[in-house]
Amino acid sequence: MQFKFDILIPYLPQFGSALLVTLQVTISALLLGIVLAIPLSLFKILPVKPLNWLAAFYTSIFRGVPLMVQVFMMYFGIPLVTGLRFNAFQAGTLIFAMNSAAYLSESLRGGIRGIDRGQFEAATALGVRYPGMMKDIIFPQAIKSVMPSIVNEFISLLKNTTLIASIGLVDILRVGQSVQTATYRAFEPFFFISVFYYVLVMLLSLLGKLLERQVNKSDRH
Amino acid sequence: MIDIKGLYKSFGQLQVLRGISLKVSDGEVVCIIGPSGSGKSTLLRSINLLERPTYGEIWIDGKLITPPDPYLHFDVIRASNTYRHMAQERQLPPDSPEDLDIVRRIKEQDLLKPREGRPYLDLMRRIEREHRVDDHYTRRRIGMVFQHFNLFPHMTVMENMVYAPMHVNKLSRQEAEQKALTLLNTVGLMDKKDVYPATLSGGQKQRVAIARALCMEPEYLLFDEPTSALDPEMVKEVLAVIKALVESGISMVLVTHEMGFAREIADRICFLDEGILVEDAPPDVFFSTPKSDRAKAFLEKVL
Ligand SMILES: Nc1ncnc2c1ncn2[C@@H]1O[C@H](COP(=O)(O)OP(=O)(O)OP(=O)(O)O)[C@@H](O)[C@H]1O
Ligand SMILES: [Mg+2]
Repeated sequence: MQFKFDILIPYLPQFGSALLVTLQVTISALLLGIVLAIPLSLFKILPVKPLNWLAAFYTSIFRGVPLMVQVFMMYFGIPLVTGLRFNAFQAGTLIFAMNSAAYLSESLRGGIRGIDRGQFEAATALGVRYPGMMKDIIFPQAIKSVMPSIVNEFISLLKNTTLIASIGLVDILRVGQSVQTATYRAFEPFFFISVFYYVLVMLLSLLGKLLERQVNKSDRH
Repeated sequence: MIDIKGLYKSFGQLQVLRGISLKVSDGEVVCIIGPSGSGKSTLLRSINLLERPTYGEIWIDGKLITPPDPYLHFDVIRASNTYRHMAQERQLPPDSPEDLDIVRRIKEQDLLKPREGRPYLDLMRRIEREHRVDDHYTRRRIGMVFQHFNLFPHMTVMENMVYAPMHVNKLSRQEAEQKALTLLNTVGLMDKKDVYPATLSGGQKQRVAIARALCMEPEYLLFDEPTSALDPEMVKEVLAVIKALVESGISMVLVTHEMGFAREIADRICFLDEGILVEDAPPDVFFSTPKSDRAKAFLEKVL
């Protein structure tokens, strides 16, 4: 068996644009996920039972349903019921963002819980109102402890976005498949893709480790 | 003036404060002492509503800061269905012995329920409308210093100090910084304005915390064991700052275990035990001739 990595060369431009799609979906989903996670974590900690239930229910949906099913639901199912039209990129980004929000809101809640009660009390005693207190005093401290989870989420998103190939978006995996179809060679394209993901994930993990050390180092008092 | 009337506080089954009444006049320094778990912090934290009283009212400068307590107003009790049932439609003249007896029973046995009829609710609402102020109004006028400083770790000393004046009192950054600098100067930490709290010693943190509270120009200051978390060599510098404040004439309520300091600065000592205000006396009287056995036993242990 001989390896012929040169067969990949003609496909490099395609790999390049596919990489762009993968990163676009991943990064937009992550950012949107963070934005959604903030109100969601608030719903979880506010002393309002119905909001707590709502947020818990939301999170359990994304825990309980396989990701692939979620993606199909978003792309094929929801438009039929609601009449909303998504293209594959929008549907993928949205469902991954909602997924990340569920996960990140959980760690953000943990981060808020971990903040010394004295911080809330000092702000309250100074007359600071709840929204300002959360925005300027609690969240900035909670986010710091959530940074490692954000990196973890980045990693799983990066890997999970391969699922968008299944709704027809041309990401790296999809290009690999078309190389296989055209050349009858499976090892080289998928090996290339594996190495690509592996290196990217290792770099991100390293970043996560550094951030974690940073968080542990900083004095909490 | 702070006027605490018949304050009760329970956490679930645990009764922490059991009928505390206490006045703090303008410019007065009141020290609260007592054994651990006697309810000192809970009492102090009630004054700026970090704890909500179960019963009782707190008035500050003629404004009611807690919900009205029907049990403190005889006319409210008399307007209730419970009173009406117990008086059985008899026309009892107010303050007749029978009438007072019923009022006392309702009060002592905690017989009022949320649904007590229109006249009762109307009276409660009238008291609220005429006297009640909102929590933020109260907290703006009362500064608090905590045992563990509670500086915001992600803000520099200066940011810690200007945050509330800018966001709560709506000062411009320039005004707020001006005031902060003056106060940092009085606590001797001018050179620390741009550092983060993590780099300060305990004594320095507490001095910043005091200055931060003063930035809001409070009329009353509450201290909850401000030196208990400090290494011994740092206690002095913090006490010196507090002493200077006493001389400036601000009203103060201070929970402390520093008996010598309390004796030196207090106008009155309040001795709390098991949620009851056992003694309330000038320091010389309290420390030389405590009246109750509980205070004697406590002083023997700590002096
Ligand atoms: N939020 C709370 N929930 C339940 N119990 C509480 C709460 N806060 C205080 N307690 C209880 O109330 C009692 C009085 O507490 P408090 O902190 O007022 O005492 P203290 O006199 O300040 O004691 P110390 O000198 O140890 O500070 C204690 O038994 C404490 O465990
Ligand atoms: Mg205490």
